[in-house]
Amino acid sequence: MQGPSVTPLELRGIGKRFGRLAVLRGVDLRVDAGEVVGLIGANGSGKTTLLSIAVGLMSPSEGERRLGGELAPQVELAQRARIAFVAHTTQLYPRLSARENMALFAELRRAAGLDAAPADPLLERLGLADAADRLVGTFSRGMMQRLALARALLGRPSLLLLDEPFTSLDRPGRDRLTEVLADERAAGLAVLLSSHDYDAVVASTDRVVLLEGGRLRGEARRDEGEAGSYRDRVAALGRPDRLAAATEAGAHA
Amino acid sequence: MPSGATPWPLAFRATTGSMRLPRQAWLLAKNDLRQELRDLELVATAGFFTLVVLVMFGLSFAALGRSAQPLAIPGMLWLAVAFVGALTLTRIFDRERESDTLRALLSAPVERLSIYLAKGAVTLLVLLGCCLVLVPGLVLLFPAGAVFAERPLTTAVLVVLGCVAYVAVGTLFAAGLAQSGGKNVLLSVILYPLTSPALMWALVSTRALLEGHPDLNTYLIQLAALDVLLVALGGVLFEAVLVGSTGRKPARERGRRRR
Repeated sequence: MQGPSVTPLELRGIGKRFGRLAVLRGVDLRVDAGEVVGLIGANGSGKTTLLSIAVGLMSPSEGERRLGGELAPQVELAQRARIAFVAHTTQLYPRLSARENMALFAELRRAAGLDAAPADPLLERLGLADAADRLVGTFSRGMMQRLALARALLGRPSLLLLDEPFTSLDRPGRDRLTEVLADERAAGLAVLLSSHDYDAVVASTDRVVLLEGGRLRGEARRDEGEAGSYRDRVAALGRPDRLAAATEAGAHA
Repeated sequence: MPSGATPWPLAFRATTGSMRLPRQAWLLAKNDLRQELRDLELVATAGFFTLVVLVMFGLSFAALGRSAQPLAIPGMLWLAVAFVGALTLTRIFDRERESDTLRALLSAPVERLSIYLAKGAVTLLVLLGCCLVLVPGLVLLFPAGAVFAERPLTTAVLVVLGCVAYVAVGTLFAAGLAQSGGKNVLLSVILYPLTSPALMWALVSTRALLEGHPDLNTYLIQLAALDVLLVALGGVLFEAVLVGSTGRKPARERGRRRR
């Protein structure tokens, strides 16, 4: 039996190749309970592949994946029970209503002997209470994004993986997501999210890592005592010249 | 209010219970049926196709002598099953592909085998529904088909066994293609050769039924054994086909990279 402070996600030396193309190389990443980690990088840098490996939708070509402290060459059902993944595609049934989408996954959990949070408060929390009985096919992209997050929280996960969660969200939607992430982090949830939206990443994360060419190239922490604000350090990731400029500007101010 | 993350240790005692597989399979099948009831897409496509095929067979083979009919009827029946089956499997997995929901199921605490069973069950239901039109239609159009009406139980067993064999193989490959972003045309290319043994066995058994062959029961037992083998094989390979193919990037992502 593991202790209560076990690390939800730990990736060691993860590599992934598609044929001859190496998409990830030697990635080491750890996400602790109560921590929100942002994954940034250009298109094709390997962010989605890394998240897919973390959730078990892909197997790494090399390296170790640990979930809840356990080595996980395959992500078994008991481990999937504690992980939630919100993909970029939202993965919702368009011919079902929001409530039916939630109910399906809640019932699937219950059929597996797992608990599921009540759907209505989650829909309310994500601002979808009024649209609960509407078919998802009629939703805007932002609404789908929020519904996908509500569904992810159904299982009270220990690890939440979000692939570009801020895409298509309007300002209130972003604020709401940031607020939800803050609440969940306070409750002990570990979150790994990928995004191109630096502002949103800065607002919602404790730590940001930069993925470039399939390798982790840098890291910025909110609680670092170094010069420059967290925003500057995130913006300067992979570009030390930018950090120097930001630091200098701060010193002259 | 936060949902309250569950600590990891609790997760490892939660998922037991022998009823998990059938319950999840039932939920997934019910979900497919609920979506089908909303637009009746499968029923309309497969039903209309079955009727058209039946009319065309009727017109083409109306002049066939009674002695030759037992040779032609099995071919008509199982050819229609093969086409309707491919159509149904394509559509069932297209629904998952369109919204990428198969990956949502794969990352959820869902037994992968329950996905196979659910998709197979729904396809089987559609096929059997079509056979409910096809078989009486063949009885009406061809005098030799009267044997189906005279021995309804044997006919039902034969049709169910033949369809199960087809669905067992078809579901496996349709899922693999849907998950890997393969083109639908590939399904037909792969499906027909791979389901041929099952269809041929069903065809030979149907001919034996129509001709009153004394070894019909042996044929049926062999077909049942083939069913058991194919369903077991499908069940064993399904997760490998799905998770193996998830090692590839989904088509949408590959397209994005190229752009």
